[in-house]
Amino acid sequence: MVYVALITGFLLILMGLYGALTNRNILRMTVAFSIASTGTHLVLVAVGYIPGRTAPILDGAVTAADASLRIIDPVPQALVLTAIVIGLGVTALMLTYAYKLYETKRTLDISKYTDLKW
Amino acid sequence: MVSTLFIIAGGLGAAFLLGLLREEWRGFAYGVTLAALAFMSWVAGSWLWAFVFDGAVGVDVFTAGHNPPFAINLRMGLPEAVLVLLVNAMGLMVGVYLKGTLMRLGRRAMAVLLVAVLALCGIILTRDIFNLFVFIELTAISTAGLVLLSADARALGAGFKYLVISQIISILLLVGIIFAYHATGTLNIDGMAEASVALMKGGTLAFFLILMALIVELKPFPANGWALDIYESAHPAFSALFSAAFSAAMLFAVDKVLLIGGEPWPKIATGVGIVTFVGSNLLALSQTNDRRLLGYSSVAQVGLVLTVIGQRAVLGEHYLFVVGGILLAHSVAKAGLFWVSGLVVERQLSAWAVLRQNPFLVFAFATFMALLIGLPPFPGFYAKWELVHALVSEGRLALVVFILFGALLEVGYLFRWFGYIIKREASVESAMSKPVAFLPRKLVVIGVGVVSAWGLGYIWGALSDFANVLQALPVLFALSFLALEGLPAKLKNTLAIVGLVAFFAISYENYNQLQLIFGAIILIGGAVILLASYETHGKRIGFYPSAMLMYAGLAMLIVAEDSFSFFVAWEILTVGSYFLILRGKFSEPHALSYIIFSLGGAFAILAGFALAAGGAPRIPLEALAQVPATLAPWVFILLAIGFMTKTAAIGLHIWLPGAHAEAETDVSPMVSGILLKAGLFGLMVLLLNMGKTQFYGVELTYVLLWIGALSALLGNLMAIFQEDAKRLLAYSSIGQMGYAVFGLAMMNHLGWLMALMFVINHYVYKSMLFLSVGGIAKRTGTRDMYRMGGLIALMPLSFIAVLIGIIAVSGVPPLSGFGGRWIFYNAIMTADARLPMILIFLSGPVAFLYLFRLIHTIFLGQLKDEHRRLKEAPFWIVVPQMIYVVFLLGFAVFPGLALRRVDAFLNPYFPNGGLNWEGLTISSDFGYWSPVSIMITIGVIFATLLAWLVYLNHNAQKVKQFNIVFAAERPYRPETTHFAWNFFAPYRKALGFMVQPFVTQFWDGLTGSLHHTAQFTRKLYTGNGQTYAFHLLAFVVVVYLILVGGLV
Repeated sequence: MVYVALITGFLLILMGLYGALTNRNILRMTVAFSIASTGTHLVLVAVGYIPGRTAPILDGAVTAADASLRIIDPVPQALVLTAIVIGLGVTALMLTYAYKLYETKRTLDISKYTDLKW
Repeated sequence: MVSTLFIIAGGLGAAFLLGLLREEWRGFAYGVTLAALAFMSWVAGSWLWAFVFDGAVGVDVFTAGHNPPFAINLRMGLPEAVLVLLVNAMGLMVGVYLKGTLMRLGRRAMAVLLVAVLALCGIILTRDIFNLFVFIELTAISTAGLVLLSADARALGAGFKYLVISQIISILLLVGIIFAYHATGTLNIDGMAEASVALMKGGTLAFFLILMALIVELKPFPANGWALDIYESAHPAFSALFSAAFSAAMLFAVDKVLLIGGEPWPKIATGVGIVTFVGSNLLALSQTNDRRLLGYSSVAQVGLVLTVIGQRAVLGEHYLFVVGGILLAHSVAKAGLFWVSGLVVERQLSAWAVLRQNPFLVFAFATFMALLIGLPPFPGFYAKWELVHALVSEGRLALVVFILFGALLEVGYLFRWFGYIIKREASVESAMSKPVAFLPRKLVVIGVGVVSAWGLGYIWGALSDFANVLQALPVLFALSFLALEGLPAKLKNTLAIVGLVAFFAISYENYNQLQLIFGAIILIGGAVILLASYETHGKRIGFYPSAMLMYAGLAMLIVAEDSFSFFVAWEILTVGSYFLILRGKFSEPHALSYIIFSLGGAFAILAGFALAAGGAPRIPLEALAQVPATLAPWVFILLAIGFMTKTAAIGLHIWLPGAHAEAETDVSPMVSGILLKAGLFGLMVLLLNMGKTQFYGVELTYVLLWIGALSALLGNLMAIFQEDAKRLLAYSSIGQMGYAVFGLAMMNHLGWLMALMFVINHYVYKSMLFLSVGGIAKRTGTRDMYRMGGLIALMPLSFIAVLIGIIAVSGVPPLSGFGGRWIFYNAIMTADARLPMILIFLSGPVAFLYLFRLIHTIFLGQLKDEHRRLKEAPFWIVVPQMIYVVFLLGFAVFPGLALRRVDAFLNPYFPNGGLNWEGLTISSDFGYWSPVSIMITIGVIFATLLAWLVYLNHNAQKVKQFNIVFAAERPYRPETTHFAWNFFAPYRKALGFMVQPFVTQFWDGLTGSLHHTAQFTRKLYTGNGQTYAFHLLAFVVVVYLILVGGLV
């Protein structure tokens, strides 16, 4: 199970990067990066997963006393939440940029935005 | 102490507060922003104060009531305090600079600025790897926001490219972090470092990804196109922050993270760093856009710091001193230059000529340029010295070569740019918008940068193990002229003369005989030449600080006792003389080649000293004698090359003719008569201490002998084909210095005596001739000799000076030149190098050919029509010439005044073959020389001939100019019909092959191919964001392959 999640995560990262490098449309690139980010998040969670254990939430089912034996590693879960929030921010910013860029040249083709070079 | 957390909290709190304000309260919002930045700077500053003055120790700040690894901790130590202060102060300055833009865009833009600054502080302070990721992402988002401050529409594209890159970085970083966490069980950087032994194969890969993500943030060559686009299009104030503060923070992050790794990682840092340093500096050569050029330069400097970070183990306790010196110098200088660029309207480099409207801005540019390059007295200078010594002692010679090569490229494009500022005309559009509105607020920000630059120089001098350059009396004297720039030139001139003479008066008692000769030439001789400067009017801004800096360097050079103080003096005199040479009207390209050759030579000297020091931070100059035999020839070669860039030995001479000929009238004698002696002094120090040295069986002094002989012959040959009188004199200097080098290389008593005599003679007659010719050129408006003629009656004093001068130069009796020759012929009788000796003999008559032209073409023949009303050269230009005439006559009769002391000085070094001084007659093993009787004999012959000519004068037939019969044709180039044009055409036919500009072609070819490489390689940066992303991924893969391939 862990490996399935890990491999899926990495596949998503590679797909995302491939998409970002091959699609010239800025919106498609943004989507591709979102896919890659999702892959990263999956990898994060998968690394923290320990087979046969439960979610790191202390309630009636899991008490503080036996938590260390029964729950999976909570740190990656905390990390992934942060990463998701940041990823959302960056995606939003990229979309804003896409909008602004479209306003200047009426195109979303990234290869048209090469005024700065050399 | 205020808790470190307040730095983060202050920024964050103010940013939230801004969100609550009404949109219209812009002034208040701006006030809140500045107050927050000032508060954050104050907290950082108070920590720095505590560390430095109260001896505080570093503290960790814990959050969330737990110790790491269960909670994030921030650390505040001395390096953190310095960097956080840098980031906050930079933020504050940028805030001030950006007032107009921020007031226009409102509180949101201000909040983004605050977030950027606090995120950078977070990167520096945090010890938690995931927290580091969060702050890096915050930085990325705020960067993408701040890029939009620019009015340039292209910034949008640059910002998007940056976002693409930051997405890839965040993927690398996250994957790296999670697997590193998996391998070590902690997110704490120090915890990971402790667990580093436990890092297994997977952990290594994880660490690799983390490191790569951070390094990519540092814009490594060639995966840095995105950064260059940002630099080019962003608001300059933001670029300042991006270059100075972002890079500093990210470099510190790399430094922290490298704690985790083991053996190969620092090598990766060094490898990536040095490729970036050299590559980016190379590509910068062909840049014409100012901000993009600054971008290339930023990237390069960060590469240098990364290189040094990788060499941490080698530097040991000096690590912080070196890395801090380079980093802070880069930050302040680059921020300053970006701020200045905000004042310039157009983007091509030559548009910066508008800065000339405000001398303060020129000074600011020069300060930032020197700071960036690492010239004394700035921190980079001390850092460079320590770095090169440490690397050489560890045998990392290739790295030293690359660093110095990259630095020389940087010297090239920065000084070229400075030349544009001083010499180019501002374009029509900028000229129309005159006077350029330099906003006082922006000037204040730039002023803060300048003050910080000098302050850092002082601090680094105090921290170093050496004497503080900014406490040396001569340097302070020279710099004090900066404060006096508002005074009239004549007053400053008096101060300068008094200063030189007074310094000689207080120091001559401590000089030995050799130093006394050089000291007298530099200080007293310098004062005599300065008499000619009374001729100038107005304020002459920039002249006195430069000239005094050169004299300060020279005065410090001759008393230097160890390698460090010698090198400091060498660089100071080089820089001062560069500014001086650049003042000439058409000096721009010549001053540039001068500084490149000189600093290239200085780097050779640096490497030579480092090699000789063998791990010590510096050595007394006498210790050159104890260099182990395996290293000695290399030290000898490096130092000799360095010194011969100044004496303009053949091959390294191409800067001299232009630099000396195009310089101002009173500057030519300074840089010819005095400055060239610095190289000779260096060679003397070298030869006195190292003596004869074998290099694979070749005697190096013998090579010097050949170089001297060839310089003498070719220098003189080139001189005879000049039409320009000052160029003629300049080429003649190459030949004269060749004689002196030859004399020294003979390594016997008389050879040295002759060289020292040359030192004195060359100063006197070259200064005199340059002044006469300069005075004549001032009156006639041309330096071409064939445009002159018949000036003997109009300018009799100049004529006398030139006549005496050429008699002295050519070495005919009765003047001191003959004494030089006499000693010289005695010297070569005792030496055994026959072939170079023949060359030297040959060059003697060649000198006659060109010297003769000075009299013949300028003073004799027919007066040109347009010159009929000319007056004698200006009074103050004639005064020093007459002093020289008197001195030459006196020195001719009583050469013993100076030479006897020198003779005695040389005795311990070369005990055999000295001269006998009895009464007024001087005798050697081969004959005797009696100056007084020679003078009388010549005087009698001269008087007789003159009387005879006067007697014949009534027979003479006057020829009027219009007696000439014209052919009915108007020549296409009138000068071709002048008898004095191409005067030595037959000789050119015979010997012309020897003066083909092979050397010039060689150096042109070298610089040309560098430019072509740069031009070709920079096409790599296509401007397409996807290409840049591909570069990045390819970069990571290539570094990985190098790593697993075990190449490091």
